[in-house]
Amino acid sequence: MKQAFLSIPRIALTSVVVLLAVTGCQKEFLDRKPLGQLTADTFFENADQAVLATNAVYQKYRDFDVIALPWIGLTDIISDDADKGSTPTDALYMVELDELTFNATNTAMTSVWKGHYVAIARANLAIERIPGIQMDETLKNRLVGECKFLRAYSYFLLVQWFGDLPIITKPLTGDEYYAQTRQPKTEVYAQIERDLQDAIATLPEKSQYGAGDLGRATKGAARGILAKLYMVEHDFAKAEQQCLEIINSGEYSLLPKYSDNFLRVGENGRESIFEINAAALPTPDAAGPGASPYNMVQGVRGVPNLGWGFNRPSDNLVSSYENGDPRREATVIYVGEVLPDGVTQVKDNLEIVNERFNQKAWVPAHPGLQDNGPGNIRVLRYADILLLAAEALNENGKSGEALVYINQVRKRARGSSTLLLPDLTITDQSQLREKIYRERRSELAMEQHRWFDLLRWGRAKDVMIGVGKNFIENRHELLPIPQTEIDLTEKKIGQNKGY
Amino acid sequence: MKQIFTKSNFWRTGLLLFLLLLTGALNAQVQIQGHIIDQATGESLIGVTVAEKGTTNGTATDLNGDFKLAVQSGEAVLLLSYTGYTPQEIAVAGRTRIDVAFAEDMTTLNQVVIVGYGTQRKSDLTGAVGSIQGDKLKSIATVDVAQSLQGKLAGVYVSPGSGEPGAAAVIRIRGTGTLNNADPIFVIDGMITYDASFVNPQDVASVEVLKDASACAIYGARGSNGVIIITTKSGAKRGNALISLNSYYGTTETTKRIDLMNAAQFAQSYNELTNSQYFPDPASLGEGTDWQNEIFRTAPISNIQLGINGGSERYSYNISGNYFNQSGILKNDELQRITVRLNNTFQVNNWLSIGNNLAYSNVKRDIAPAGVIGSAYRVPPTVTPKDAAGNFSDPTSPYGLAIANPAADLFYRSNNSRANDRFFGTVYGEITLFKYFKFRSNYGFDIDNETGKAFTPIFQVSPSQIVKDDLLSVRRNQKRDWIWEQTLTFDRSWGETHHLTVLGGYTAEQRRFEFLEASRRNFPGTIDDLLYLSAGNDTTQANSNGANDEGLVSFLFRTNYTLFNRYLFTVSARVDQSSRFAEGNRQGFFPSFSLGWNAAQEEFIENLGWFDRLKFRFSYGILGNQNSIRNRYYPSLGVIRSGLYAIFGAGENLNQGATLVDYSNPDLKWENARQTDAGLEIGVFGNRLTAEIDWYNRLTYDIIAAVPIPDYVGSGSAPLVNTAKVRNTGWDITLNWRQAGRFGWNVGAILSPVKNEIVSLNDQKSEVFGASIQGEFATHSVPGEPIGSFFGYKTNGVFQSVAEAQASPRLEGETAGDLRFVDLNGDGKIDATDRTQLGSPIPTLTYSFNAGFDFLGFDFSADVLGVTGNQVYNAKKAARFSVYNWEASVFEGRWTPENPTATKPRITNGGHNYRVSDYYLEDGSFIRLRNVVLGYNLPLQVIQRAKLSKFRVYVSGTNLWTKQNYSGYSPEFSNADNPFEVGIDNIGYPVTKSWQVGLEVTF
Repeated sequence: MKQAFLSIPRIALTSVVVLLAVTGCQKEFLDRKPLGQLTADTFFENADQAVLATNAVYQKYRDFDVIALPWIGLTDIISDDADKGSTPTDALYMVELDELTFNATNTAMTSVWKGHYVAIARANLAIERIPGIQMDETLKNRLVGECKFLRAYSYFLLVQWFGDLPIITKPLTGDEYYAQTRQPKTEVYAQIERDLQDAIATLPEKSQYGAGDLGRATKGAARGILAKLYMVEHDFAKAEQQCLEIINSGEYSLLPKYSDNFLRVGENGRESIFEINAAALPTPDAAGPGASPYNMVQGVRGVPNLGWGFNRPSDNLVSSYENGDPRREATVIYVGEVLPDGVTQVKDNLEIVNERFNQKAWVPAHPGLQDNGPGNIRVLRYADILLLAAEALNENGKSGEALVYINQVRKRARGSSTLLLPDLTITDQSQLREKIYRERRSELAMEQHRWFDLLRWGRAKDVMIGVGKNFIENRHELLPIPQTEIDLTEKKIGQNKGY
Repeated sequence: MKQIFTKSNFWRTGLLLFLLLLTGALNAQVQIQGHIIDQATGESLIGVTVAEKGTTNGTATDLNGDFKLAVQSGEAVLLLSYTGYTPQEIAVAGRTRIDVAFAEDMTTLNQVVIVGYGTQRKSDLTGAVGSIQGDKLKSIATVDVAQSLQGKLAGVYVSPGSGEPGAAAVIRIRGTGTLNNADPIFVIDGMITYDASFVNPQDVASVEVLKDASACAIYGARGSNGVIIITTKSGAKRGNALISLNSYYGTTETTKRIDLMNAAQFAQSYNELTNSQYFPDPASLGEGTDWQNEIFRTAPISNIQLGINGGSERYSYNISGNYFNQSGILKNDELQRITVRLNNTFQVNNWLSIGNNLAYSNVKRDIAPAGVIGSAYRVPPTVTPKDAAGNFSDPTSPYGLAIANPAADLFYRSNNSRANDRFFGTVYGEITLFKYFKFRSNYGFDIDNETGKAFTPIFQVSPSQIVKDDLLSVRRNQKRDWIWEQTLTFDRSWGETHHLTVLGGYTAEQRRFEFLEASRRNFPGTIDDLLYLSAGNDTTQANSNGANDEGLVSFLFRTNYTLFNRYLFTVSARVDQSSRFAEGNRQGFFPSFSLGWNAAQEEFIENLGWFDRLKFRFSYGILGNQNSIRNRYYPSLGVIRSGLYAIFGAGENLNQGATLVDYSNPDLKWENARQTDAGLEIGVFGNRLTAEIDWYNRLTYDIIAAVPIPDYVGSGSAPLVNTAKVRNTGWDITLNWRQAGRFGWNVGAILSPVKNEIVSLNDQKSEVFGASIQGEFATHSVPGEPIGSFFGYKTNGVFQSVAEAQASPRLEGETAGDLRFVDLNGDGKIDATDRTQLGSPIPTLTYSFNAGFDFLGFDFSADVLGVTGNQVYNAKKAARFSVYNWEASVFEGRWTPENPTATKPRITNGGHNYRVSDYYLEDGSFIRLRNVVLGYNLPLQVIQRAKLSKFRVYVSGTNLWTKQNYSGYSPEFSNADNPFEVGIDNIGYPVTKSWQVGLEVTF
């Protein structure tokens, strides 16, 4: 084969191909960003994005792990207010809460722990990055204040449940993931207090929000949680001060009718200080974008079939009310009762013995299925603050002033009746304390406050043993830390006593 | 070249050629006779095929080794073929008597093996490469060529994963090398892909598996889990066209059913559990419903393939069409596939050749809701599928279960289909640039357009099995991948002394994926003709669209040098730059070298007269594993998640929310593996006995894995980190005895022992957990143990009495009838510190044996394969949330007050008896008759009257017999691609067995 050593066509063809291939691939070929998605380094560049990031924190409080079975399980069902409810064999980890037989692998602990730390992480990111954005300073401060409020709220729940906690106030990076340790609960309290003080300084009052922003954290809400924190710390002077600030702000008043608080009409009403807003948007079979599962898990099970039927008001709760207290009927749904819609009668469900349901979680017919729950979750009502004010004043030796506030609550509860729930007049500190404690239970039953009240009063053991539960001292005051956290940190996160 | 070939006139040309040859056969004929003997032994050979080249004319030697054949002319050429012998061409050259001494096939030495970016003679190979011809794979009835590799090659572990039609096999080459995705890559006719499911097994010419660093280094960043090269059939430059038809039909079914509680047993256990007499007379309920019968079926499988193959000195073509149809063993489940392939080569002139390998596949899947397999396992047997009125029964009542009626789900939720149009192929041009230099440009593409459609009508079976609003959703997924490779090869021999090949190349690659989904509700009817979005209510519409992409730029280099055909040297390397990593960590360099010594060619070995083949090989190199981030396109960038809505305002307005949900790792870098390989190849007794033995040691380091992080971090998922070192050491052993002749037979064994061990974890960790089951980790990975070892409590029987329980250390109030956990650290209590290593999910040995024979037209082959040394965690048995049905083994022999000496715990729901413990661990070893085939070739004398050159009928069976100790469907199940969860059975689509009858005709 006689060939020219160099052949023009071959060289030319090869050169063209090589040239095309090489010029096609510059550095941009390898610099690629997610398509149709923002990334963390390009986010937080304008006011809109600051609002988006803040809204995303609120969203977490409608998730199942934060607001459904784990939430009611670790507040009402674990306490003397409620039994597990539902059918005997549904969601057995909830039975463990009711019977105080849970351990460090119980789903409820893992869920609330994870859920609230996710909310905290979202808040941390917003708190770190929003200040760097060029935007209206008032809005900027408000958004950071909202995130600090939510972060404080999550820490406040966690510290009451678990005690000492890893305190995380900024987004963690890789080398910090496993290195956290539990800080003394006093440090957690201090962190919550700092956040709430900042929130009080920057958040508007409820009335200062535009109509479209109703439901965002307010100065009053931050004061309310701060008051609760002081109550937990038994710093009654500061608690009194915060409660009175709220009362004197003129932002809130009791609704004339107690039961309206739990209906659509009461949502974000005069009595509402903070609630997690939800809505059943007219979409699908699946939960819509504004839904919460809170109503579903507690809904009437059977006929009508509105939900799963968890959180049964206990016999002890039902018998705890003063004679004829109308709040009992507004709290408990019995078989045979007609629901607040005025039409539907609850039939006996043979699967469940002696069923009752939480009326405060009832919602009227709405688009979508049960899981498209529209009810706002009432976190803090003005009545709660009045009773805290009464409690703090009484502890501070101001029984007379305390009576003013507890009687406001009783007056509203009795409505037009002249016989029921008469005004209290006792001024003996310890007798009044008992009255206030009982009033709190009646007023706030099935609203997920009872367990925390029992803990801060130091009464959990006596009360639980009183209702036949095996409350073990130095164990059940705190929940166990999820086992996975202990395993993953190789015990840098330690377990609570007794578990 | 005068003729310009376009796709359309291929067929015409081929057909024309064919007709021409047929008419040629009718011309004046010459009678030839002859006698054929074995070259070595002088024995007469019976049944040797003697055919006239370029025709369908042929015969076979008789019992004396004689043949007679009438050929067209004295110019004819005879083709001799015989199992185990080298095919031979003999020109008639005017003779009428032709006697032949036929030689046994010794060509394994000269066999050409496909390696990355080139080919090599097997004798020159210095890397560890497993090779198998396509015809050895086609007897397994499967749509996926990877499935057919099971048990065929040493060091290649294949698990079917699932019996779902079209399910991808899980493949591990030389053990599990990483904590993340350990799948090898596929290179199909030069195009790299992760999904070879479109390849029709009957189009495959050969499969090469690159196993060691030397062979894989040319694939650099994607080589560390091994490389599977699939080469499809090309046309033979023989002049005539061969038209072949290959078809089979068969049935598939489950290999095993789980023995579930019957209605009487369930009722009894329900009473015990709820401490009630809910069922007054459990025994009267009898068998009840075995829900497995309601969802499974014996399903047909069929295949038909038509191909034309031919060519001339200047071009070649292979054209095939195939239709495959497999119904799932799950009702309403079906896969249909059409594939078309066009493979061509053209020698354009004396310096340019071009060619293409083009495939089109159309897959249509009707998808049954696979969740029914889990619900059939759990739904009470006391419920009938339908009530007396013919409506689907509500299984939630009266038990209060959130469980679906699987028969109803199958009925209402099966209107779900997916269709893929996939174009996959390569086109290339090759220029002989100067003497010894060749330039090649190869463009590969993979375009996959997927359309999906699912409709759920309004229905209600129970409060939890309900659809209030019908929903139609449609989906368009589009994949666009391309690779463009430029290589320059220098190839020169200096006599028999030196042979040098040098390859250099530059490649660029882009992969892109985009999806578009939309849905509406409230359709005016449910007939298929109506089910298009526009018919739905436009106020209910929803849509989404997104995409991701990646780029890869690489430089590659390889040199092979052979001295005296005996001393072999290879050096290869690749540099990869990937868009998946941040700029500073983008580049990876992956070098390797290897040495070989063909000792059999040394005079002093030859003089011994023992070895027909004796070769030593050694290789060492570093490979990357980009596959570990295969589904994470931007792992170092935190992606903002939107759709996190908040509700505010009196009007309950939806406010958009967005934030970082899943944390990322900006410092992520390449995962690498160092691999050493030492190999030995032996052929003795005239190459009748061959052995290939490799030892390897692969150390994977900077392993990328999504290691669980504490929940307090608040990330939605664990980011990827470089985390660990894992060592796999093992042996690939292949032994074969092959006897040629009238009764040709072969036996072989493949043994692949492997030891998997974590060497170290990164400095932050001394143990990595995985597979959370009910709030508790079920596996952990620690140095010195295999990846994903089972981790939990040891048990020691059952407490027989309350007193016994109370006297023992307990976890949480165990009582009579509960499992007794072992107090391993002897501190008098059972707690988390008593958990320990329970076993390994990774087989320590996989093996297979094969045997076959040919005799008087009959052919037979059988493969047996097995694994041993692994365990399985029966999580479906352990997972309890409510009163569901159980396996019968839970009921039979359980502890009851009346049976206080039981070894099995009492029936409970949830709680300590379901904690992760060795009680749920079962032996995962099995041995299986993978494949058995019996075929019969009609004698040539008979078929040539019908102008046929081959007519074979066969029966074959796959997975017909399995011996397993595991109580589930199979110890091979579908989450096998996650190393942390590889042995956890949560119940999936079971592996199937099948029978087929088939027909092959060539004319």
